[in-house]
This record gives sequence, structure tokens and C-alpha cells, in this order.
Amino acid sequence: MSQSKYDIACDTLSPEQEFYQGSYVLLEGAIIEVLSRLDIIRKYKSTQNFKDPVEHCKARIKSAESMMEKLQRRNLPVTMESALTQVYDAAGIRVVCTFLDDIYWIVNMLRNQQDIEIMEEKDYIRNPKSNGYRSFHMILRVPLHLEDRIQKVYCELQIRTIAMDCWASLEHRLKYKKNIPNQEMIIGELKRCADEIASTDLNFQSIWDMIEGIKQNGGGDSDEDFAGRR
Amino acid sequence: MRILLAEDEKEMSNALVAILKHNNYSIDPVFNGTDALDYGLSENYDVIILDVMMPGMNGIEVLEKLRQSGINTPVLMLTAKSQIEDRINGLDKGADDYLSKPFAMGELLARIRAMGRRKSEFTPNLIEVGNISLNKENYELSNGKSSLRLANKEFQMLEMLMTNPKRMISTEQFMERIWGYDTEAEINVVWVYISYLRKKLASLEANIKIKAVRGVGYSLEEGE
Repeated sequence: MSQSKYDIACDTLSPEQEFYQGSYVLLEGAIIEVLSRLDIIRKYKSTQNFKDPVEHCKARIKSAESMMEKLQRRNLPVTMESALTQVYDAAGIRVVCTFLDDIYWIVNMLRNQQDIEIMEEKDYIRNPKSNGYRSFHMILRVPLHLEDRIQKVYCELQIRTIAMDCWASLEHRLKYKKNIPNQEMIIGELKRCADEIASTDLNFQSIWDMIEGIKQNGGGDSDEDFAGRR
Repeated sequence: MRILLAEDEKEMSNALVAILKHNNYSIDPVFNGTDALDYGLSENYDVIILDVMMPGMNGIEVLEKLRQSGINTPVLMLTAKSQIEDRINGLDKGADDYLSKPFAMGELLARIRAMGRRKSEFTPNLIEVGNISLNKENYELSNGKSSLRLANKEFQMLEMLMTNPKRMISTEQFMERIWGYDTEAEINVVWVYISYLRKKLASLEANIKIKAVRGVGYSLEEGE
């Protein structure tokens, strides 16, 4: 079901509020804006007796520590201004979907939001990273209606299936562990799992399509698809 | 092509080695059954020639042990003319062909060539059609930049289609080859697996597709 309130995970509030200062509320605003648009469409879709495409959403404001580290790494001034204008993931949302097609449904829905600008799209599902990572990434520029002006804020979205999300959380652990024995083997095994999960995701989609009675297409000759089926 | 020759008669062995080398085969001669098994287990050969009568372990025992260890290298048995039992037994234990002594060298060479052809059908680990490759070793389906792992039955099905592009394969053929005669599975499981494979080919932006002809079967077509 849809969320009714917006949980924005941020364990240690004070250092972030200190770092982002007055802009902290803008980042929160951008997240609320995007989540509420997702919510409205999900609710509308379920009143039309369609399946809710979203399993759950997760949002976060990048911690002051990792933001400062990122700015330093990129030789950018370590300031609130560059955090909001030079990098794009101070505000981040992860949308976890049930099926592959849901991902592209969400992407299209966001493309159709007239006042949200799409700065960048990266389809790591069609073009997975070499380690096997799959997700659809988007950078949005979201308008916030303030008292006297409209402020535009960047927000990064990662859209993926439950299975991809499961893989990513395991891979994430590897990243932050140093000196793992058999690292190469583990990386290879994770890649293999990613390719198996991708395969399973496609099967889930096929089965869902069968349940829904959507004709499989190979390109036009769908009438002949029931060859040998009697 | 690499051949293992197990023949205990020295003169016979020397003659065969000379002729096979002359025909550009690389050949390892061994003179008893124990060595034949050790060498054969190394899986380094394209063809193994086994004499039946050998000290240590006879050719049929060697063959049996090789097959039990999962070595599928084609085996040619050399049998004495009178020993019909040996031939039957050898073939039943997994020999691919036999030749009874004495034989004409030309016939041995022809039989080796024939076995080599059979083997080469199975050697390539990568089947490529269009922009898609299927790796037989790890079941990986790839377009070069992205890859998927197929499950066992999906793999077998696509392997049949990709090794015989453009050839129509019937639903019954898939059932018999992959699920077996005694399966409890219903025949429309084939269609379900075809759906999986189509989705996977599409997701890899393949320029090949599985075409269906009602009541006949499926074939792999290139283009688009």
C-alpha cells in the first residue's frame, strides 16, 4: 500500500543540519515532492484496479560525512552550495518495484511530469555495470514552491526490482569490507548471482504477463505463438 | 587432433604411431591398460584407440572406468576378428566404434576422421548466432555487454535452437529431448519456456528471435 507519511532516514540529524544549514529543508522538500507524486499516481492506479507498481520507497539525505568526503575527492569546495549544485545526490530516493516493467512505468511517469526536469538517465538494466549491478538511475531537478520564488533542487533516483535490491545490498557489504579472502572469486560469484537474478526477474515478468493474459510478442506474429499448444 | 593409442604389441604400436604421425595427428602410445586409464583420465585427447587384449587391465575395463569418470572422449576399440563378444561388450560399455584386426590402415584413418567430426560437433563452448552467444560451460547468454544466466532447461532448449538455426523444432521434440518421455509435465510447459527465452533475447536486444508456426513448432530466425 501507499505510504501515508514520509520517513526520511537520517540517523544523526545535527551534523547534517549543520552542514546543509537552511538548505536541509529544501532537500527534504525535494524528497517529499517526488514521493508525493509517486504516491498520488500509485493511489490513482489502485483505484483503477491496477497493480501497485511500487513495492516500497526509501529516501535519505546524504550524510554530512560522506558528502564532505565526496566533495573533497572531486576537488570541489566543501560547502553547502557545492553540495547542492555540483553534485546531484544530496537528496536520494530508491524506488523498489515488483517487476521489471514497473521500473520503466515509473520512469515514464516521471518523464511525463511537466515541471520536473530530467537532467540525466542511466539505464544500468540494459547496460549493467561490469560487476553485474543493475538499476535505473535518474537525476531530477525538482521545483519547490517557496514563499517568494520557485527553488529547483536536484534529487537522485534509483529504481530497481526487489531482486536487484537484494543483490545490491549484498554487494554493498563487499565494498566496505577490506581484505576479504578470495576477493576475486567472491566478485565473480556476485556477478554470476546478478546474471541469475536478472534471468529470474525476466521469468517473473513472463509469468506475470501470462497471468494477466498479455500476449507474448516476438514481433507481430502473436497469433502463432500458441504453436503446438493443444 | 590428439590421439591416445593403447596397444601392447610393440611392432603394431610403432607402425600405427608412424602412420598416424605421418597423417599429422599427435599421438601418445601406451602399452598397458593401467597407463591407458591414467592418460585417458587427463581428458587431453580427441580420440582414444583401445586394444582389447592388454596386460594390467583390458581395453573394455579401461573404457568402463573412463565412462564412469565422465570422460566422453570418442573411443575406438581394436578387437580380434573372432571375438564378437568383445565388440558387443565394448559398444555397450560406451565405445563409439570398433575395428577388428587385421585391418587396413586406410579404414583406421577414415574411422578416426569420422570420430573427429563427431567430436568437433561438441567442442565449441560458445554457440554464436546473430549478436548473441550462448556459453555451454556456464549457461551464460550474452550480447557482449550484458549477460544472463539461463536455468538448465532454458539452456537446453536454446541450445537446440541455436545449434540448428532456421530449422523447425516441434514441441514434441523439445519435450522428448529435454523433459524425457516419462515426464509428468504438460506439453504447454514448452510454450512457457519459449516465453522465458523470448523475453531474455529481447532484453539483450538480440537480432535473433524465436518464431512460432502454429501446430508445427519453433525455429530461430535471424534479422530485424
